[in-house]
Amino acid sequence: MKLKIKNKRGQIEIPFTWLFAIIVGIVIVFIAIYSSSRLVDVGQKTTNVQTGKEIQVLLNPLETSFQSAQTTSITIPSETRINNKCEDFENFGRQGIQLDQKNLGKWSNTETSTWTNNRYIFSDNITEGKKFYIFSKQFNFPFKIADLIYLTSANEEYCFKDAPQEIIEEISILKQENLYFENCPQESITVCFESGPCNISVDYSRGYVKKGTDFLYFAGLDDDSTALMYAAIFSDKSIYECQIKRLSVRLKTLSKLYLDKEDYLSEKGCETNLQSDLIDLSQAEIQNSEGFQSLQENVNIMNENNDGRICSLW
Amino acid sequence: MVNKLGQMKIQQMIFMVLAVGLLFLLVGLIFLSVAFRNLKESATNLAEKDSMLLVSKLANSPEFSCGNAFGTSRINCVDFDKLMALKENIEKYSSFWRVAKIEIRKIVPSSEVECKKENYPNCGVIKVLDLQVDSLTSSSVFISLCRKEVNEFGFYDKCELARLVVAAEDKT
Repeated sequence: MKLKIKNKRGQIEIPFTWLFAIIVGIVIVFIAIYSSSRLVDVGQKTTNVQTGKEIQVLLNPLETSFQSAQTTSITIPSETRINNKCEDFENFGRQGIQLDQKNLGKWSNTETSTWTNNRYIFSDNITEGKKFYIFSKQFNFPFKIADLIYLTSANEEYCFKDAPQEIIEEISILKQENLYFENCPQESITVCFESGPCNISVDYSRGYVKKGTDFLYFAGLDDDSTALMYAAIFSDKSIYECQIKRLSVRLKTLSKLYLDKEDYLSEKGCETNLQSDLIDLSQAEIQNSEGFQSLQENVNIMNENNDGRICSLW
Repeated sequence: MVNKLGQMKIQQMIFMVLAVGLLFLLVGLIFLSVAFRNLKESATNLAEKDSMLLVSKLANSPEFSCGNAFGTSRINCVDFDKLMALKENIEKYSSFWRVAKIEIRKIVPSSEVECKKENYPNCGVIKVLDLQVDSLTSSSVFISLCRKEVNEFGFYDKCELARLVVAAEDKT
């Protein structure tokens, strides 16, 4: 086909078929580029959701063991932001993980989270890095409520200053590389158990962690109140308070279960005398961590009353 | 004549464009169906893996585990009394573990009688949760099912061998 470029008056003249082909070609190329970029975007989001779900699945073994605390690490090939999502409404509330990964210097924006109802992850709202440390610890109050999971990035190093011996021993056993007691890196987040200029201050005897102007209260049984203390150290206030509300619901529901269990034991003639305490616990109004801490005394008494009985409830 | 030839060429071009468009569409659809099939497969695999790992976790979760009620802490020990209490309060837990079915079957002594408050503990199958939905292959773990019993010498702990069975919901 011969392309006529100029007419008699010197104007450019392109045959209609050529013009048509060029326009259609441009449209096809545009659609191809647009759909492939959308596909890459959707593929990235799918990978993020899949990785989020895989992390949730990998957390299962952490909640199985009877060891006091155990740690593991997850390495993701590209720079990743783990968004910790906590919702405290509806029954037991729910725990979500939303992953955003860096691709060609740009963060993907995944709107989809993977959710579970039976997990409690304590971390900052956003934890960023390639390597993440996860450790878990059983939380008893007075009976086992849940296994708490603490998520930190290898980029964040914590320096524990003047920590009580039991905490030094426990964390030393974990051998988690981003937790230090001595020779702390300069950029590390300082966690002080006595007075001093620190990022995080812990009053172990009064049961609170101070972060800037925020107070996060923790509680536990007489011999071990570190489970919630670590939770307060490693998480943002909003996440911590949300998880406390979720744990409160589980505490109350478990109290009702133990009440019903007591009925079964009573039928066999095995009394426990914990009925009224369990009713109080199942009806407790807990709004925040301070309210949760106020149960401490009763919980310790309940635990003493349960211990050593022939028919102990837990 | 020139006009008719031009119209013919335009028609040819339109047909060509339509054919190319359809080809792209077809290739795109095949690609998407393969991608979604892979996605479904990996979602199913993850759900199965989750229920496989969940089954070991479940036996040690506070709603099931013996704790220190039968002496020291034991792994994979399920409290029968607490389990019956859980069965009665299961509506609150219906979506808690995100599984379709949780069942405990006594192995020794074996029995197909479903456990209810009236026949407890003389029964063999405890249907803790059954959402009546399509489920994936079930996973199971051996457990000791313990309860308090009484005889002429007083109270004692009775533990029997059982199997905890968990099945995830088939969402495909």
